[in-house]
Amino acid sequence: MITRSFKSICTSLSLVLIISVVIGLQSFLLNKETIIGNPVNEFSLINVDGRKIGLNDYANAKGFIVVFTCNHCPFAKLYTDRLNALNEKYKLNGVHLLAINSMDSILYRDESFVNMQKRSKSEKYNFPYLQDGDQTVGRNFEADHTPHAYVIWKVNNQWTIQYSGAIDDNGEEPEKAKPYIENAVNALLKNEAVTESCTPSVGCKIFYRK
Amino acid sequence: MNVIKSFCLMIMTIAMNQVYGQYNDLWIPDTLSGTQFNLNLVDTFAQMRPGNQTITEGVNNKFWGPTLFFNQGDTVHMNIQSFLNDSTTIHWHGMHLPAVMDGGPHQVIPPGTIWQPYWKVTNNAATYWYHPHLHMMTQEQMTKGLGGFIIVRDPIEAALALPRTYGVDDIPLALTSRRFDASNAFVTTNTSYGDYMLTNGTLNAQVSLPKQMVRLRILNAEMERAYNLGFSDNRTFYIIATDGGLVDAPTPVTRVIVGVGERIEILVDLQNDVVGSTLDLKAYNGGFSLGFPGGEPNPNGQFGSLLNNTTFTVLHINVSNPTSNPITSMPATLVNNTYWTAADATVNRTINVTNGNPGGQPFDLDNTPFALNTINKTINLNTIEKWTITNNNVFGHSFHIHDVEFKIISRTVNNVGTFDEGWKDVLYLPVNSSATFVARFDDYADPEHPFMYHCHFAPHEDGGMMGQFVVVDNSTNIQEQQEAKEFSLFPNPSKDKLHIAFQGENFEVYYIKIMDAVGRTVYMLPRPQVQNGIDISQLTPGHYFLQLTEEKTKLTTTQQFIKE
Repeated sequence: MITRSFKSICTSLSLVLIISVVIGLQSFLLNKETIIGNPVNEFSLINVDGRKIGLNDYANAKGFIVVFTCNHCPFAKLYTDRLNALNEKYKLNGVHLLAINSMDSILYRDESFVNMQKRSKSEKYNFPYLQDGDQTVGRNFEADHTPHAYVIWKVNNQWTIQYSGAIDDNGEEPEKAKPYIENAVNALLKNEAVTESCTPSVGCKIFYRK
Repeated sequence: MNVIKSFCLMIMTIAMNQVYGQYNDLWIPDTLSGTQFNLNLVDTFAQMRPGNQTITEGVNNKFWGPTLFFNQGDTVHMNIQSFLNDSTTIHWHGMHLPAVMDGGPHQVIPPGTIWQPYWKVTNNAATYWYHPHLHMMTQEQMTKGLGGFIIVRDPIEAALALPRTYGVDDIPLALTSRRFDASNAFVTTNTSYGDYMLTNGTLNAQVSLPKQMVRLRILNAEMERAYNLGFSDNRTFYIIATDGGLVDAPTPVTRVIVGVGERIEILVDLQNDVVGSTLDLKAYNGGFSLGFPGGEPNPNGQFGSLLNNTTFTVLHINVSNPTSNPITSMPATLVNNTYWTAADATVNRTINVTNGNPGGQPFDLDNTPFALNTINKTINLNTIEKWTITNNNVFGHSFHIHDVEFKIISRTVNNVGTFDEGWKDVLYLPVNSSATFVARFDDYADPEHPFMYHCHFAPHEDGGMMGQFVVVDNSTNIQEQQEAKEFSLFPNPSKDKLHIAFQGENFEVYYIKIMDAVGRTVYMLPRPQVQNGIDISQLTPGHYFLQLTEEKTKLTTTQQFIKE
């Protein structure tokens, strides 16, 4: 009797785990299919130094790390050093980091351009910090949270999304994190496929004006 | 055979470790007391599980906010500043107060705004709470952790020999559960239940309680799940208070169902326990028929959960040495409540749970989904009313009404239970049952701002299972003026204090909003006390608009001023 109950519990638990894995895999694949490989159109946004910057300004770029971030989000703030390090590491290989703020600065004054300038200066950003004032670029990328990172690469002369999601999988403990962005860029630099090309972005939600 | 057993054991071990891992010390929320309360609403994150941090929203904290201590008779002033990236509201659940201070879906606090409601505390000593109430966003914002306890003290309760040392022998317990995705983020959509128990935001919580009489203030802060609570040794414990006050005498029980939004205070006697021994407060949620919230058998999916239809630990208790002045006995009686009866009611109303198809059409009340600009009921001030709520539907609900504490006088399924015999503001309404309560709507008439009545299941209220009522005073026949009264602001420009000069007599301010030059709301001041001016010292210099709504006419006029 005990054995039968035990087997029954085991069967149920196994079934639960299998179902969970299948459901998780399904949602993962669905999410991946919708975004990876999408084309990225040229944009031109104002940088904190007053200049307008777009992808075409980087004539010899192999790729970009595009990170949607913002001023106020405590979780996004954890990544300041990592963004500087990523840009420092990969710009020499022709992969440049662009940070974009698509938050609604009309509703939320902490995300103002002036505060972007202050933040870029105080945190010694070594990359452009661009304001997406009408939120068009964020919408086109379907950026969900800050930070939400993308790796875009040129395929058949068209910039396409090759990675979408989190920068890594641990905001507060970078030493324990799985470096999604680095893995993606390293693979692309070696002309290899990105093995983990879509992860959930984690952070403060980006609300788009209707 | 052995291979199969080993595999099963491995699977079970993995599953059980996920559910019942190492105990973590129960977090006891900080306290705020006095009459001025500063609450900052913040986007933040917390280390809830190994690996990535979980994005949360907090009140002066990472998840869940400070416990506010109010003294009956005091006028409490709240200074709510939202640093959130989204609009919200903060509702003072159970408080009797003006509707314009209530924090329902109409008192929307935009990002970056300061909201300053205030009211005189008239509630009985009991356990109340505050939480967001933004329509269609309640589940997400509550899931992320906005909320906190309110503990009201009054002279009657203070005179009783009850445990009252917060965090030592008087423990607040907010019961809820959460579902996490692969990145440790809370799942906030298409889910009614969490998979992991959180007690005061602590997974697998444990607490040391002294070997004496201990008071637990239990709040069901869930989205939908009800808790059938009891102790692991089936010991008797004693209910001493329900939502809105002490009951007449401690009521012995071994199990008690606490629905979403409900509070009970219990006394548990640990005097016969050995120091070092352990005891679990558990939810005995297995074996209920369909309709009990959390009784669904599925382990996953929108209406499933790893905790559903099972028994799980809510709090692991380690018995420790008694304190220096322990409470060792229980008062035989507590308070002499005088309840209204059906005979006192001059108005009878019925409300029916309607529509609703789990996973399909949302539930509503009286076939009328919530609409922000629709007043569903108008109640005359000082009226005692009898409301009968009927649920001939497919699922249980928690019916909550703002403004008042009521007395349940009858139920069609089971008698009025031990857990709902006192003052209540939420009632658990099982499938195929009716409950009738009596309430008095006094003190605060306001034809402009409504109160809510609704199912407290966050997915249900977000889905429109909510109505609203205004309390009106027909005894005063006010001739409404057709023109707004005039006022001026001085000094203008101003640096610290902005004063209002009213032209004409009997000028009362109903509401002031201050907007910046691009139209962002920066201050929301319901019925502000403006005789000493408005403190604008926190504003950044610039051009502002002050929008003033007059009390009697409810007409609104806007003036400009410059902050130096």
